[in-house]
Amino acid sequence: MIDVVFLLLVFFMLAARFGQEGALPLTIGSGGETAWSGPPRLLQIGPHDILLNGRVEAPETLVLSLSELVQPGADLVLLRPVQGADMQRLLDVMTLLQAGGLTNLTLVAP
Amino acid sequence: MNFGVQTRPRGNQDRSIVPMINVVFLLLIFFLMTASLTPPAPFEITPPEAEADPAEPRAGTLYISADGAMALGTVRGQAVFEALATDPPDGPLPIQADAAYPAAELATLLPNLAEVGITGILIVTVHP
Repeated sequence: MIDVVFLLLVFFMLAARFGQEGALPLTIGSGGETAWSGPPRLLQIGPHDILLNGRVEAPETLVLSLSELVQPGADLVLLRPVQGADMQRLLDVMTLLQAGGLTNLTLVAP
Repeated sequence: MNFGVQTRPRGNQDRSIVPMINVVFLLLIFFLMTASLTPPAPFEITPPEAEADPAEPRAGTLYISADGAMALGTVRGQAVFEALATDPPDGPLPIQADAAYPAAELATLLPNLAEVGITGILIVTVHP
């Protein structure tokens, strides 16, 4: 019996994954069910820069500038990744926005 | 000379093994409780790092590799959309994409997902 217990122990030690996983939610634009309200807020995410409505924005002032345009948490913010921006870059920007209370995000195709 | 068998009483030996079995059982129960037996990713994926709300890994995750290969359960490639249409997930679809996967390609993928009735996705990340 002890042999079996050891075998199970080793199995679960090997099978267990202790990766500290998290998840960030994204809304998928579902064809204009709710009317767009407020000023435009389109974030263009490049590999090294962020453009808010076509103007270059520093990461430090991004949340502040955006919160003037939207109701935090309620209004949708559009994210448009351009060529060269990978998932890590997108997630960096998304965590920055989430920390600033902007939780309703969606991706648009370039 | 004494080649006789050890004169140590057998009961003594049995008793010394009991604490070890206790510890082994404790470890076994610990690993049973903490193990999350989700099937491993079909290919090597380095999830992007982010400070996100912790989430349990779960079955039904869509895996996307750095070069855009997709996998959902046993289904590969473009067939994942048909699989999602016939068996839609309850709630948002968890997506585990490689950190080097171009975000623009994910954006072009989303309309296809919306077509099969998915209204939200969860991007799986790891803590740095």
